[in-house]
Amino acid sequence: MLCNPSEHAVSRRRFLGTALGATMAGGLGGLFSARAAEAMKASDRQVLFVWLDGGISQFESWDPKPNSLYGGPFRAIPTSVPGTHISELMPQCARQMHRLCLLRSLCTKDQDHSSGVARIQRGDPKNRGVPYPFFGSSVANLLGPMESRLPPYVVIKEGTGGFRAEDAGFLGPAYGSLAFGDGKPPEDLLRNAALTEADDEERNALRDLFNRRYAAQRRPALTQASTFAYDTARELMRRQDIFDTSRLSERDLDRYGRTEIGTHMLIARNMLTAGVRFVKVASFGWDSHGDNFNAHASLVPKFDRAFASILEDLAASGLLERTLVIAMSEFGRTPRINGHAGRDHWPDSWSLAMAGCGIRAGAVVGATDANGVEIKDAKHDIGAVFHTWFKALGIDSEERQYKHKGQPLPLAHEDMAPIKEALA
Amino acid sequence: MRSIPPKRAFRRTAVLLAVVFAAACPDAGALTADAGFIDGQVMAKAQAAKVSVAPRSDDGEFQRRLWLDLMGTIPDANEARRFLQDTAPDKRRALVERLMADPRFPIRMAEAFHVQLMERAGDDEQWLAYLTASMQANKPWDVLVREILSPDFNDEQKRPAGYFMTRRLEKIGSQETDYPGLTRDVGRMFMGLDLQCCQCHNHLTVKDYKQVDFNGLFLVFQNLKLNEPGGDHKTKWLSEGMVEAKFEFTSVLTGAKGATGPRVPLGAEIEIPALSESERWVVPPDKKTRNAGVPRFSPLRTLSEKLTSRENPYFARNIVNRLWWQFMGRGLVEPLDLNHAANPASHPELMAALAATMGEREFDLRWLVKEIVLSETYQRSGRRSDGDAEAADDLYALAMERQVSAEQFLKAFLTATGEYARVVDGKGWEEMGEPRQDFKKVRASFLRAFANAAKEPELRASPSLRGALFLRNNTTVLWALQPRKGNLVERLSALQSPDALAEEAYLSIFSRLPTEEERRDVQAILNPTADRGKTISQLVWAMTASMEFFTNH
Repeated sequence: MLCNPSEHAVSRRRFLGTALGATMAGGLGGLFSARAAEAMKASDRQVLFVWLDGGISQFESWDPKPNSLYGGPFRAIPTSVPGTHISELMPQCARQMHRLCLLRSLCTKDQDHSSGVARIQRGDPKNRGVPYPFFGSSVANLLGPMESRLPPYVVIKEGTGGFRAEDAGFLGPAYGSLAFGDGKPPEDLLRNAALTEADDEERNALRDLFNRRYAAQRRPALTQASTFAYDTARELMRRQDIFDTSRLSERDLDRYGRTEIGTHMLIARNMLTAGVRFVKVASFGWDSHGDNFNAHASLVPKFDRAFASILEDLAASGLLERTLVIAMSEFGRTPRINGHAGRDHWPDSWSLAMAGCGIRAGAVVGATDANGVEIKDAKHDIGAVFHTWFKALGIDSEERQYKHKGQPLPLAHEDMAPIKEALA
Repeated sequence: MRSIPPKRAFRRTAVLLAVVFAAACPDAGALTADAGFIDGQVMAKAQAAKVSVAPRSDDGEFQRRLWLDLMGTIPDANEARRFLQDTAPDKRRALVERLMADPRFPIRMAEAFHVQLMERAGDDEQWLAYLTASMQANKPWDVLVREILSPDFNDEQKRPAGYFMTRRLEKIGSQETDYPGLTRDVGRMFMGLDLQCCQCHNHLTVKDYKQVDFNGLFLVFQNLKLNEPGGDHKTKWLSEGMVEAKFEFTSVLTGAKGATGPRVPLGAEIEIPALSESERWVVPPDKKTRNAGVPRFSPLRTLSEKLTSRENPYFARNIVNRLWWQFMGRGLVEPLDLNHAANPASHPELMAALAATMGEREFDLRWLVKEIVLSETYQRSGRRSDGDAEAADDLYALAMERQVSAEQFLKAFLTATGEYARVVDGKGWEEMGEPRQDFKKVRASFLRAFANAAKEPELRASPSLRGALFLRNNTTVLWALQPRKGNLVERLSALQSPDALAEEAYLSIFSRLPTEEERRDVQAILNPTADRGKTISQLVWAMTASMEFFTNH
């Protein structure tokens, strides 16, 4: 009675080729064509997106300015790339610098959290009157799920979890995120204690039988979509190990840090390894309007440890070659130190870090002046950064478009282009 | 001219086409007298496209569809069996009439309108009760919409109608009061026009939609203020400000300036009356009591009258289109909120005739529902044969697979598993010796699993990971599949013959009898009999989690 796994694979591909094919892979329909082969090759790319909500200070991280007007109390330290220095709060990342690419010339447009968080993660395209998808939803849509059949876009965050449709914008709820609040799965995700895995498989095989009978007399698309949802559910239930914190190894926890971001980054590593297309780790509390330096002295080393450890592990397992890694916020922090020893919101000149597939390892792109106020040469808005990420993932964002209700929409700001210096 | 003239020749054409149709479809029988016009129009288009339509649904297929549409649930096994065994030639019409007289019909209609109008942006018991009472009274659609658009917050009965607007004007999180969103939704829900783009410029692709249309409506709604409960008001309420001048706007594309008074979109501007100082206020503002006053000229009231009048062709077309969509799975105009001259109905004469008759019949919702469900088009089978060519959906050659809403799914699931009375009505717990299932909590959990996110219209069936995880693991779902006095699993366990068991299961869950092949399936499933009770429970789970149960087909 048990179903044949190869049938699932076929029906899933057919599903991708019909219901979602037009948007998902721009013509995956002809599975054996050269173009499809190209698409399949690109489709092993993954993304780790580390979101430091509230705004990490570029001075206390990737672009330190010691002994300058606004530099603050921390020193800069040398890294594994001769000539490149970062804040002394990041000793572990300094040892991974040969894998990283720093962008120190970010100049974006929004200094409000409420609008900026979404604006940055949607790539701030020209206003088309429709809400653009977050980067995670874009990647879920453009690259689809992986062979693992795990959900394509997962968020690991503090606080509550659940299914978040709003990330997906005009792509629709199917491309929303599945959020693990405090690293824990959403309700009903764990196999009910009253069920054994064997029983669950048995009854699902029966369900497949009923569906086959039903679908034989109907158009196949809807039943295929359902089969896909049930398969994804099963894979998630089967892979409970990947988010079960009680199973994380002591050694790994020591390396990543027994902190929220450390644990969440470790779960992220396991999810990437298990085949989740896009994993976002969200860390909160970076909005240091007061007491910026103590706050960063506390927060940055936790991030440093977790981020450096995952880079090291992804590199060791070979995953880094096909995983795009990003760490960023919605904006940087002001050069000027305010009356509460804090730094405020600053979109004019700030930094982010990238690594992995398609990215030029060890590079530093752009620079700010001696006081960290002005960008010296070319400024880069988030639209250019989106083009860069898409390019790194093998998606030609200057050619390809979304189709929304017949309206062609660019993947990223059409007046901007990938940042070549950041690409391998 | 932007208005679409209704076809006056409806009746004569109807008779003519009914004759044509009866000849083409001899087994349509007694139904053609009512629904001939619908079927004639649909058949004519299908024939012109050289597409042959599917045969009539069988009785099982029909009764499940009709029950879900009119009762919001499926028939129980006894009901289902009785209808299948009924040999009366007019039993379908009799069933339609019986169900439309059932108290569950207005509840179902209220739920359907709630989901369409609120799009999961909020849930409110009084609002639902108001909709239900309106449907019980078969309140004409224009009256209902006037009560929604120009709510009387002093009238105990009608006050909850204001929820449509008050909910949309609430501040949610850091988001500002969404006046443009309310304006857009009024256009969408009551005229089938999505004017969103026209806030800032004329629509780029729809010639009929102008910036003046959005802003004439926007002027009326941005003039409202949401007030907290207090004083005479037990709920949130709206007050209206003074409008004395036209609303000015500038196109962000061309820089062209414009100005408008209140306006029914794609219709005429409402003149702002010039009133003397003494005439301006019904209740003058009072700074001491902080009463903002009540202006004599109410753009909201005037607009709600003009928008819902028979002079506004889009009002009638919209309700025809939305009800048609509700029962057919596809609007005569698609998308539902993109009515304009260059996007005609799939069946223009049918749309024109139904809209005109809707007006003549004073927007009688029940009349239209009955016309639709008695039509052969509604009663078409959804089953394809292998050789069938793909026909376009707008030919209605095959019944579409439609969404079963979260509310319908919950009731259908409880009816099928035989737990409806216990969970919904709270009956029969005393003898059980187990904790009661709290219906409110159960309902909320089904809604979380199957309803769309707020502001995502529920337009089609969409299987989701969330729903799949829910059916696989939710404790209430698994609870209903344990044998318990009188429930389906217990009834099935008592049946020794696999054939009888298959019949009872199929009637209870799919509202039909099993085919020979399916009887053999059930026999094979039960055959090893390792643990018969467990197998039966798995069988019921698999059927209720299957696509045949998940969709209205």
